[in-house]
Amino acid sequence: MISVKNIIKTYTTGAETLVALDTISLEITAGEFTAIMGPSGSGKSTLMNILGLLDRFDSGTYMLNDQNVSDLTDNESAKVRNKEIGFVFQSFNLMPRMSVLENVELPLVYTGVKAKERRERALQALERVDLSNRVKHKPNEISGGQKQRVAIARAIVNNPSVLMADEPTGNLDSKTTVDIMRIFQELNAEGTTILMVTHEPEVALYTKRIVTFRDGVLVSDQPQQQKLV
Amino acid sequence: MNIRENFKMAVDSIFSNKLRSLLTMLGIIIGIAAVIAILSVGNGATSEITKTFNDFGASTISVSVSDKASVDATITDADIEALKNSIPEITRISPDNTANTTVRSVFDSRSALAFSGTSDLQYTNRSMESTITYGRYFNQSDYDDAKEVVVITEDTAAALFNGRQNVIGETIQLIGNTGNTLNLKIIGIMEGTFQELQGSFDLSQMPLYLALPLTTMKKLNPTVAVMNSLTVQVTDKDAIESVSNRMVRLLETRHDTVGEDMYTATNFLQALDQVDSVLGLFVNFIAAVAGIALLVGGIGVMNIMLVSVTERTREIGTRKALGATTNTILFQFLMEAVILTLIGGIIGLVLGILLANGIASALDIVPTITLGSVLLVLLFSTAVGVFFGIYPARKAAKLDPIEALRYE
Repeated sequence: MISVKNIIKTYTTGAETLVALDTISLEITAGEFTAIMGPSGSGKSTLMNILGLLDRFDSGTYMLNDQNVSDLTDNESAKVRNKEIGFVFQSFNLMPRMSVLENVELPLVYTGVKAKERRERALQALERVDLSNRVKHKPNEISGGQKQRVAIARAIVNNPSVLMADEPTGNLDSKTTVDIMRIFQELNAEGTTILMVTHEPEVALYTKRIVTFRDGVLVSDQPQQQKLV
Repeated sequence: MNIRENFKMAVDSIFSNKLRSLLTMLGIIIGIAAVIAILSVGNGATSEITKTFNDFGASTISVSVSDKASVDATITDADIEALKNSIPEITRISPDNTANTTVRSVFDSRSALAFSGTSDLQYTNRSMESTITYGRYFNQSDYDDAKEVVVITEDTAAALFNGRQNVIGETIQLIGNTGNTLNLKIIGIMEGTFQELQGSFDLSQMPLYLALPLTTMKKLNPTVAVMNSLTVQVTDKDAIESVSNRMVRLLETRHDTVGEDMYTATNFLQALDQVDSVLGLFVNFIAAVAGIALLVGGIGVMNIMLVSVTERTREIGTRKALGATTNTILFQFLMEAVILTLIGGIIGLVLGILLANGIASALDIVPTITLGSVLLVLLFSTAVGVFFGIYPARKAAKLDPIEALRYE
């Protein structure tokens, strides 16, 4: 599903050149639940942005669903993001003036789905995250955990190939963290491919595979075998 | 992403910041209101003036003899005959002589303007109404024989005869500025002239109006009662230019003054053109002021849109991550700017119409609000929105999604 080969990404500030990703190759197959770990500045978020087609890289190739997406224009990237990638952010990034339902509908608006179908699919997605009773609320009227569930519903509403979550539990307390991770596990069990950036080992325990970065280099790639307590 | 969605988002965003949106629109509102008020009052005034001029005689020509002209150049009865005979479009023609006199009756003595000419003066004189209340106007034989008869207005009759109106057969004495006197028999009473001025002037201070044959006037004061000007009415407005030229040419030929510029023909169409152009200048000036208000309003819109783009940087980043293309974002913010100015335009339109009605009723004219000016306003406010919204919208559309998502 996702296949990157020899990705190099550098940042240049003045005379200094920082290598953010140093020749990274990684394969992710459909149905996987992968945690990308590492300390801050290790390059894990940079990789996530590149995989999410939000950022460009200097060299290497990126194949998504057997299509070369290494060199797309901004608008082509936007369309691929809309259809193939669902994003979950650390700080939820919901539209404050829109209701829960409208927030979930937003990706479908950009796809061009008709209002009636949009509504039905958004309600289905909200049902999957167990939020059918909050559809008319505004984001500031619901809790942090509920906000993140809305964001997950928004990420899966267009049935993307892969769900990408960047520190999805970073702003949540430990109890809510467990709730959210359980939802990810359920979605994964139903067949959703999930890629998650985190620096918390206990969160990574919910995944099936852990890829670790340090200083822009991939240092370990192992199945996650520890049982949850 | 369809227009309806975009529209809804834009309206949501505008209404979630009601006060800010209203303040932003203020410049547009004031500008549009001013434009609409001025346009409709200006149009109303123009049509009012045009109507007045048409009532007054748009088909009237005045011919005047230059001050420098010798006595030989003065218009004669034979000239009038010749003009009538050779220019069939002329319906009425009369000398138009006005003299300051004093008029005395058995009751009172007042200053008066004495108009004199031929019998056509009844229609060519614009100071007195042509409708007769009692008696008759002086006729050609009165003129030819220089009969000592006079026609006065109702107001003059009332002023001279203690409020009486029908004073046919009474005699008044006209005193010229040389002290000569002439007794005149009243043969006709014309409709009053002062109605339009009532309320604005003290009527007892107004000069009285009376009309008599020029030949009779000559008896009172031969140096004043000369034919230095003619008033001519023609069959239709379109003939004015050609009749004017032919009259001047004929008079020049008859008095052997070709090329000396002794006779000038003017008409009310020219006067109307002048009034129109003065009015037009005024309207343009106010329109320019309103244009500056719109410009300032537009800059206000641009300013607030830039603030809005900055405030919503993260929202823009999120939208891009969810699949919004550059054009989608561009269109969203452009739409917001246009709706902002369009709402401002509509509010301004309503205020402008109210304002126009207020001004118009104070000036006693009917404001003219055309569909054209309404469309112009809507089109213009849209244009202001597009013009001043495009830069902020492009700024939003071009944001780098990662930078935007990271923005605090």
